[in-house]
Amino acid sequence: MPRKTKPQEEKIENSPSKLESTMEESTITPKLKFQHSIGNLHANLENLKTREGVVGYIFRTQKSASIDLKDPTKIIDYAVLSSTVLEAGENLANMFELGNIYKVTLEGKDVKILTLKIGDNRLSIFMDKTADQDRIYKDLNIT
Amino acid sequence: MNKDLYAEALKNTLTEIRNTCPGIKSSFIFTKDGAIVAGDAETADIIIGKTLNSFQNVAEKAGTIGGLHNFYVDGDKGKVYISRINDMYLVTATSKNADTNNLLSVTQVIVRTILKLLESIIPAPLKSTQPQQLTVDTFSGFFAGDTVQVDLPLLTEWSKFFNGKNINEIEVETFGGETTRCKVKEINDPNLQGKGIIRIPERVCKALEVNKGEPVKIKPVEP
Repeated sequence: MPRKTKPQEEKIENSPSKLESTMEESTITPKLKFQHSIGNLHANLENLKTREGVVGYIFRTQKSASIDLKDPTKIIDYAVLSSTVLEAGENLANMFELGNIYKVTLEGKDVKILTLKIGDNRLSIFMDKTADQDRIYKDLNIT
Repeated sequence: MNKDLYAEALKNTLTEIRNTCPGIKSSFIFTKDGAIVAGDAETADIIIGKTLNSFQNVAEKAGTIGGLHNFYVDGDKGKVYISRINDMYLVTATSKNADTNNLLSVTQVIVRTILKLLESIIPAPLKSTQPQQLTVDTFSGFFAGDTVQVDLPLLTEWSKFFNGKNINEIEVETFGGETTRCKVKEINDPNLQGKGIIRIPERVCKALEVNKGEPVKIKPVEP
């Protein structure tokens, strides 16, 4: 099946290029910083999805979701799974007093999921089991 | 050696690993169907119960990626690893600065070795009548009675441990410490079968001070 080149839905308020020009003109406020990091994240995700072993991602903000999966028939299953994974991760973090969650990883027989909470947003990256999730996490450059 | 000794051997193993490796805050083992096999001496039952609940939620949805093999949570104050070992899962919680790769390797190698050794001593697989954890679902009605309902395969499995005798009664224990004995039969609603739940009449729930969605431990009463 041909790979989708654009996320199925994308409603980010500002594009990275627009943000860059804004940032040159004024002091960076926390909101702008956040928007900038989200813009960077989208750019990183675009690069990431071309990497061998990555089968797609789901990025959910409070207002919208960007989904890009090689196999669109799995969108619902993967969306439910990623939500459940993060919820379970938060429960375990509370019980074992793990503090703030950096990442939650679920490994299945063939596929693994790296799930992150970035502010109020949630990112799940789906990849083959052989893919290096630590490298992918590092390359996302989430601060 | 019976199955209680089997569990005791694993419990001692986990406790000794924890004593030797200060980076490990908690560790315990459960089967894929949610039966607690063993835990180190320090881990509270309530923690184990809630972990099983979270695990089961993920396991139910993980079929789409070929089942749940490993589950890791990485926080700024520590980490939790749930790793599959044969038909069981080992949960290990570590502190922030623990050398997790080393700790996990050592723990898994030791636990695997102990399991292999125990299984060679005890030919029967580890499917004991130890407490099973299920999630409460409630029901009410004129004919509800006091009988709880669980999945038929669980009753069948227990029955094998009592020479094929039917299991008619079980003991239900909440994580708040309340216990009761109830008559038991199979879940009669096909839509509710195989979901890891126990259906408990509402008035029994009130007596146990347990609500829908909460975990309870159950074990059979010898017929």
